[in-house]
Amino acid sequence: MHFFSQSYDYEHPWSHVVIGMWHKYPNPKCSHVISIDVLDRTVDPKTGIIRTERILNCKQKTPGWIVKLFGGSEDAFVREISFVDPTTQSATITSVNLSLSQFATCFERIQYSPAPDNRTSFTQTAEIQARMALWRSAADGLEKWLVQRFEQNAHLGKLGFTDVLRALEERQTAATM
Amino acid sequence: MADSLSPECTPLKKTYDSCFNAWFEGYLEPVASSTTDAQRIAHYQQKAKEFEDKCGKVYAEYQSCIQSAVKQKGIEPLLQQAREEHPLLAPPPPAVHPSKD
Repeated sequence: MHFFSQSYDYEHPWSHVVIGMWHKYPNPKCSHVISIDVLDRTVDPKTGIIRTERILNCKQKTPGWIVKLFGGSEDAFVREISFVDPTTQSATITSVNLSLSQFATCFERIQYSPAPDNRTSFTQTAEIQARMALWRSAADGLEKWLVQRFEQNAHLGKLGFTDVLRALEERQTAATM
Repeated sequence: MADSLSPECTPLKKTYDSCFNAWFEGYLEPVASSTTDAQRIAHYQQKAKEFEDKCGKVYAEYQSCIQSAVKQKGIEPLLQQAREEHPLLAPPPPAVHPSKD
């Protein structure tokens, strides 16, 4: 598992930052995000919390070996769930990759909260984790295949060497006669 | 405003986004600290209703477009799996910085 985290302040009040959240894309500096869709949005009439589920389509250059090994493409989808709580003035955004998720997950969490002097603090953490169970089963399969192949080769080696020894013996017998 | 993953949903998506953004900008105005819980609930109920009245129709149209696009593109099973793993139905607890050990 790998962790990433960073935090800093934006020089803008919380409400501006949270309004800005919905205007972040398209963005020439983040051109890898090519589409965004809202799949679900609810406003809790009791708490005022807005929950939004979005799907982002990202296009990013992927190293060739990853595409070859995992059969992915440069098109990747990310599911994002955000909560905006106007009472506590908190906004959290959680994202996880959908593409290649059978191999590894990148779980990202962002939080915006008000900071002194009309600023907004931004905290971002990410956990990147390969699915160990899958690696273990793949490694297990590889070992089994290697053992089988080794056994086969060992068997063939025995047969082959037996032939050689027999031929040598036959030659010796012929020479002494 | 970003495009939809399906070009035919993009016009509905943009109309819906504009509707939401217009409503949302007024939504964050702080509720006076003197408000009672009952007043606060009434306020959010009214805001939620206002959102439904203003954007509900275009939201439904956009959803019928995008939900079928999600199925067509084969994203549905991945999405279902992610929803099962992390339903995220309530705000997550504040992030804790992982320790180095």
